[in-house]
Amino acid sequence: MSDSRDDFIIAIRYALLKKSTKQKFSLFFLIILSIATITLDRSSLSVMSTSRAVLNDLIYQVASITSVPGKSINYLAKVKKNHFSIYEQNKFLQDEVIKLKNNQFNNIFLRTEIDNLKKILTLTDTRSLEGDISIPARIILDQKSPYMQSLLTNKGTKNGILKGMSVFSKNILIGTVVEVNYMTSRILLLTDLNSKIPVIIQNSDVNAILSGGGSKNDFFLEYLPDEFNLEPDQVIFTSGKGGFLAAGIPVAQSYLNKKNEVAIKALADPDQASIIFINNGQLNK
Amino acid sequence: MTFYKIKDVILSFFPLLLLYFLSFSSFETLKEFSNLIIFSFNLQMILIYFYVLKYPDMLGYGHIFIAGIINDTAIGIPLGTSSLSYLILSFITTYIRNATIRSKMTAEWVIFLPIVFLSNLIYFIVINSFSNLSFYYVELLRNSFFTFLFFPFFYYFFSFLSKLNKKEK
Repeated sequence: MSDSRDDFIIAIRYALLKKSTKQKFSLFFLIILSIATITLDRSSLSVMSTSRAVLNDLIYQVASITSVPGKSINYLAKVKKNHFSIYEQNKFLQDEVIKLKNNQFNNIFLRTEIDNLKKILTLTDTRSLEGDISIPARIILDQKSPYMQSLLTNKGTKNGILKGMSVFSKNILIGTVVEVNYMTSRILLLTDLNSKIPVIIQNSDVNAILSGGGSKNDFFLEYLPDEFNLEPDQVIFTSGKGGFLAAGIPVAQSYLNKKNEVAIKALADPDQASIIFINNGQLNK
Repeated sequence: MTFYKIKDVILSFFPLLLLYFLSFSSFETLKEFSNLIIFSFNLQMILIYFYVLKYPDMLGYGHIFIAGIINDTAIGIPLGTSSLSYLILSFITTYIRNATIRSKMTAEWVIFLPIVFLSNLIYFIVINSFSNLSFYYVELLRNSFFTFLFFPFFYYFFSFLSKLNKKEK
C-alpha cells in the first residue's frame, strides 16, 4: 500500500521537477510563474499596467497579421454569398429606399416640431453641449468567440481614444471602448454578455438595461416592469441614464423569432464593420 | 536540396509554429462561419496533449507558457490564465506518459476527457476569481466536449506529420 503511494508521489515529483533534454524549465517553476503572473496582473501596480499596455500593442499588431488567412476565408465566403443573392438584394434595397424616403419626410417634420417645442419650453440641446469628436478607426482583429465578443482597433491613446468612449458603425452603436493602449484599443461589443447599457423602449416610458446574449439576434432586457409586454418591431434607444451615452441612439429592435417568441436583435451588424467611429457618446456625424 | 531543408525545418518546428499561430489568432473555431460556432473546440489543448504525450522534445514547456500569455493578451483575459490551464494539462500528460507502459489511441482519447475538463475548470476558476468577466458556462462545457470529440482526427493528423518528419531525418 505504502509502496504504491510512494510510486505515485515519485511519479508526480518526476513530472513536476524533472527536465528532459530539451526542456529549459521545469513544470513546477512555470506553474508558479503563471500563478505569480495572474496575481501581479490583478494588482494595481503601475508597472504592470504599463507593461501590459506595451505587450498588448505588440501582440495585437502580430495578431492582426496572423488573422489574415481567417479574414481571407471570410472575404471569399462573403463574395460568394453576395454573388448569389444580388438579385434579391437589389429588390430588397429598392423597397427600402422607397420606405426610407417616406420616413425621411416624417423625420424632418418631427425634428422641426421637436426644435420648436424645445424653444417654447426653453430647453437646451444636450447633444450640442458636449464636444463632438469622432475618431475613425480600422478593425484590425475580430475577437468574436463563444466567450468574448470584442474587436481590436488601430487607434489608441496617441489618437485621443479614452476608456469608456462609444463606438459606432454606420451611425449605429456597436460597443464601448474597454481597454486602451498606446496604438491599439479593444471594443466590447453590445452582443457580449458583459455589455449592459441603459435603454428606453419605443412608444413607452419603460427604462431597462439591455444585455448582450452572445450573438446579434440574442439580446435581453433586464429590470423590466412585471406588467410590461414587449411587442415585435419596437425600437430600443439609449436612455442616457448614467450620462455615458447620449439619449436617443437606436441600438436594437424586437422581432418575432422562429419559435414565434418576441426576441431582440441588434440594429448594427458588427460582423460587417471594418471602419468604425469612436466618440464620446454622441451620434456619429 | 534547399526545398528539403525548408520542409525539414517546417516539420520539426510545426507544433511550435502552430501553437504560436493559434495563440495569436486566438483560434476557437471557424468563427468566420457563424453556423459552425457551436463546434468551438480548443485545438491548442489537443496539440499540447499530443506532443507532450508523444514527442515531448518537440514542444517545450516554456513555449507553452509563452503561448498561453499571448493567447490571454489576444483574448483579453487575466494574464497567465491560459498558461496555467495549459501547464496543468502538460503536467497531467507528463504523469500519464511516465505511468503508461503501452500506449493505445483509444486509451489516450478516453484519458483526454477528464484532463480537458480539469484544465478548463482551472481556466474557469481563474477567470471567475481574478476578473469580472462573465460568460456562458455551457459554452465552456461544449468547448470541452468538442475538443474531446475532435481529438482522434487530429491525433492521426499529427501522427502522420511526425512520421513524415522521422522519415525526413
